Amino acid sequence: MLRAMCSSERFVALTLAWAVAGAALAEDTSLGRAPPTQWLERMNQALTTRNYDGTFSHWHGGHVEMLRIIHRVQDGTVSERLASLDGSGREFIRTGASLTCYLPDQRTVLVEQRPPDESLVGFPALNDQTASSYDIREVSRTRLNRRNTHVITVSPKDEYRYGYRLWIDDSTAMPLKTQLCDTRGHVIEQIVFASLTLSAHIPDSAFKPEVSTVGFKWLRNESAPPALAAATQAWNAMRLPPGFRIAARSAQTLPGSTDPVDHLVFTDGLASVSVFVEAQRREQADQPSVPESATVGSSSAFSTVIDGHKITAVGEVPPDTVRFIANQLKAQEPPSVGSRRP
Amino acid sequence: MNEELDSQLSAMFDDELAPGECELLARRLSRDEQLKARWGRYAVVGAAIRSERGVRLNAPLAGLVSAVILAEPALAAAHGARRTGVRWWQPVAAAAVAAGVAAVSVLWLRAQAPLAGAPLSAHLTAPTATVPGAAVVPAAAAGAPDSYVVPRAPAARAMAVPSIELANYVVAHSVFSSPVTRRNLLSAFMTGESGTAAEEPRDDAQGNVQ
Repeated sequence: MLRAMCSSERFVALTLAWAVAGAALAEDTSLGRAPPTQWLERMNQALTTRNYDGTFSHWHGGHVEMLRIIHRVQDGTVSERLASLDGSGREFIRTGASLTCYLPDQRTVLVEQRPPDESLVGFPALNDQTASSYDIREVSRTRLNRRNTHVITVSPKDEYRYGYRLWIDDSTAMPLKTQLCDTRGHVIEQIVFASLTLSAHIPDSAFKPEVSTVGFKWLRNESAPPALAAATQAWNAMRLPPGFRIAARSAQTLPGSTDPVDHLVFTDGLASVSVFVEAQRREQADQPSVPESATVGSSSAFSTVIDGHKITAVGEVPPDTVRFIANQLKAQEPPSVGSRRP
Repeated sequence: MNEELDSQLSAMFDDELAPGECELLARRLSRDEQLKARWGRYAVVGAAIRSERGVRLNAPLAGLVSAVILAEPALAAAHGARRTGVRWWQPVAAAAVAAGVAAVSVLWLRAQAPLAGAPLSAHLTAPTATVPGAAVVPAAAAGAPDSYVVPRAPAARAMAVPSIELANYVVAHSVFSSPVTRRNLLSAFMTGESGTAAEEPRDDAQGNVQ
């Protein structure tokens, strides 16, 4: 055993069933020599357009939990279900423009209805700006779970964003393993697929929640988003970290609230930060404002009060980045918050 | 534990077990505590042999493993050669593999204490360190010098951000995330890790932009 261990450099994910079915096996592998950015684009394409059903481990802070993800694109409608298989039992289900989050630990269901004209696959695109913020390289090709993969590293050039190491399947472009790294290269979050099936057909029943919602509180954003033109102030970031630009702006209501919220999205093409601006309620305005921060895995949130408005920034970036962006928000007049996409 | 099982476990550890047998053994691993413990020991010993950074062994086991390594001339030579040939990327790779060790081990050994993985940056923000060469891009106005000081790490405090409110923000934000970062964000939220909240230090609340 000792000898065998010495010769073994393959340490990860040896044990689990692996199934890639259907057309995926017949994929063209002529992309083997594609540049690393092209692999990232193909990965994004695969994650958003393929049908797949997979189980993966999510590691963060020494804590591992298994999750299942089911993704389907059928007749132009994206359906997705992400469920914690142990622990919280939370589930996230997206069907078209409807996002539903089941929180058994809170006995609550959040239902957010996005505007029907808003693309749910409108993720930020890699561009030259992205290349200026990250060093993107293919560092090796290796086998993972008996699949040929390209190992792509996305290294940040400053401390405003995280880096990634991605094991991208050669034939399907699915990321079989993902590591999120801080600027010193330390792994802070990892996702590894244990099983993955790419199917031509996934039934509707796969998108039904397993959690019983009897007695749960349902919070919806059923009221129509406020007319942006009615806003009295437009909010903008006075300064942004290098490479970040505003990518989207919308007005909406959040589940369980009728108060309008301005939602600004900043991105560098890979990482993104949402900033939510809400007018403080009268009872809140009387209380001393204390900035607060929170983390969701490696993602960060920061909330503060500026000019009588609660500013909350959330993103897959280090805590200081959301803090910086939130503190740069300023109200400007006259209102210019009139378009959903700038 | 019988020899056959031990042999299978060893082969699986070295990725030399047939897929069908691998799956059967994986199932058995999930319910056999003794087998889980043995698998965990293989993982730890393997990590120690490779001197992976970030893998913290308990002292007696670490000492035992080191003694075994030094007693094996071939292993000791390989160990030394590897250490002298350190490349610039090895710390990163070592941390990455260490994370893999933690993930795989804990996956099957949830009842055991997890191995220490790589440091967690979110909770280890350097106290008041200047970001080298990190110029801030003026977005709408200019005037202030282009430098940025990383603020002090916030003091840990009890839950301060209402989780439902945070859930609302996370769900709304997820629509605009790139596919990979979105999966990370939602996965972390699904696992119930959210809510690690902290009150910002009052004397350092203005962004520290110089």
